[in-house]
Amino acid sequence: MSYLLTTLTKKKEIDTIIRDTIDKVLVLRFGRAMDALCLQLDDILAKSSRDVSKFADVALVDIDSEDVQVYVKYFDITLIPSTVFFFNAHHMKMDSGTADHTKWVGAFHRKQDFIDVVEVCYLLFLSNPLNWIMPSIQIVDPGSVDIIMVA
Amino acid sequence: MKKKNKKQKSEFDFCKVCNRNHDEGQRHKYFPSHTNSLSKFFSRFQNKLTEVRFFLKNPSFLRLELASRNRLWCVFCDCDIDELGSSFACQNAINHLASGDHLKNLKHFLWKYGGGMDRVDAFRISQADIAKWETKCKSLKSEAAPCGGTSQGLQSGLSNDIHKEPDYENLNNYEKNTLHHLNSNISNVVMPLQQHTNEYQVSRLEHSGVANVGSNMHVITSTLSVDPCDGTSLWNANNLMEAGGNVHSGAPPPWFEETQGDQLNVQLNQVSTLNKSGKLKLNPKRVGAAWAEKRKMEMEMEKRGGIVKSDCDPNWLPNFGRVWQSGSRKESRKEFEFEKQKQTNVHSLSEMPMEIKPYVSKRMRKIRVFKMRIRSELVD
Repeated sequence: MSYLLTTLTKKKEIDTIIRDTIDKVLVLRFGRAMDALCLQLDDILAKSSRDVSKFADVALVDIDSEDVQVYVKYFDITLIPSTVFFFNAHHMKMDSGTADHTKWVGAFHRKQDFIDVVEVCYLLFLSNPLNWIMPSIQIVDPGSVDIIMVA
Repeated sequence: MKKKNKKQKSEFDFCKVCNRNHDEGQRHKYFPSHTNSLSKFFSRFQNKLTEVRFFLKNPSFLRLELASRNRLWCVFCDCDIDELGSSFACQNAINHLASGDHLKNLKHFLWKYGGGMDRVDAFRISQADIAKWETKCKSLKSEAAPCGGTSQGLQSGLSNDIHKEPDYENLNNYEKNTLHHLNSNISNVVMPLQQHTNEYQVSRLEHSGVANVGSNMHVITSTLSVDPCDGTSLWNANNLMEAGGNVHSGAPPPWFEETQGDQLNVQLNQVSTLNKSGKLKLNPKRVGAAWAEKRKMEMEMEKRGGIVKSDCDPNWLPNFGRVWQSGSRKESRKEFEFEKQKQTNVHSLSEMPMEIKPYVSKRMRKIRVFKMRIRSELVD
């Protein structure tokens, strides 16, 4: 499904999209187009990208391209697919039940789960003031995505 | 084995009562949901008919300004019955409910949607009732205007009740007055009065040769209603023409005064501007607000001034907090860059080309070095 969403292969492109997405949540998926789990996630992202288009932008990053390796290392991407959330060029942490709060690892079960996450992210980022602790979202059960907001 | 075709799907049909399409065919009218909707439907229409029945028993004159407000939608015939041009309250409605067409439609409706044929009488007016009503009306008329027999008859004929069956009594009157040809024009056409009924105007109209039914109507009323007691017809025409315009000419309604209208316009404009300018008032305290504002300004500058902003530093990295990192995010960036430098050093070291040489023993190396020294001394 990567032909439905913008795929980024260069650091410059990633920089541009991070810097130019203003007042909207930016969802960056790091993965490979041919990987099975990535395909699953891409399917959900592609289907829901229009629904969330008013408050979120979705883009895919191909981790196999050389230019992108900087980011792969910077974001510590070891498992794919990994989804990183940004808001106004700030990276947003999310507690999804794992030790790694910097990204969401894996796919979503349903389209609605993804939409819920993004929606809550947006509302939280919009309402909370900028603290030295970035606002984080705690997801209690990643399977059903019951979201409890923790500022 | 006989196959029982339990679910015989018939074509989709629209049920007026339930207000939905269904494919249950004839069975639909027996379903409890339909019977419920039907009873509600009938009770609603009955409520509307109570007024009509009241005026059936107690006929009274209908004032023209109220005529436009009275209308009834007949659910069985799917038609609107208004009271424009009727002299008695609910006259058109009463005539409609007594008509043969209405009875036919009512019976068809009851057959199609159920409800029992005994309800027929509840939704129509019998001939006996309407005859009584008409006699009452006549007596009222004769009391009100003792000399307006023919003109009143004319008026009732002029009513724009297109559903009313031709009134033979009035037709006979017209024949007597040799106005039969006009009646055939008038009884089927609904035309609003457009001009003052004035003798001078009438003569002008006649000469202009405009084949306007409305103007013809004026001709009749003015020629016939010479007597002052026939003020009703004259009054009707004049009253309507007092206002500067009407619905048909597109004039504003009288309750919508000019001052009010201006105020409303202003309010509407204000609302529209508000909508356009403040789409979403974003929280100034939101995450990355300062960055967002700054970036927006930069982008606007780029658009307007055509300033080609230099591309961001290739080494730019977003604000990212690493996994096992504690402390501020700047430190994570520093850490990363430090690691990057380390890696590049390692790479540069490992990139030195390795030459493959044959093995030379230590003794041979010493001899070679000695030989090279002698040569160099000889040269010097």
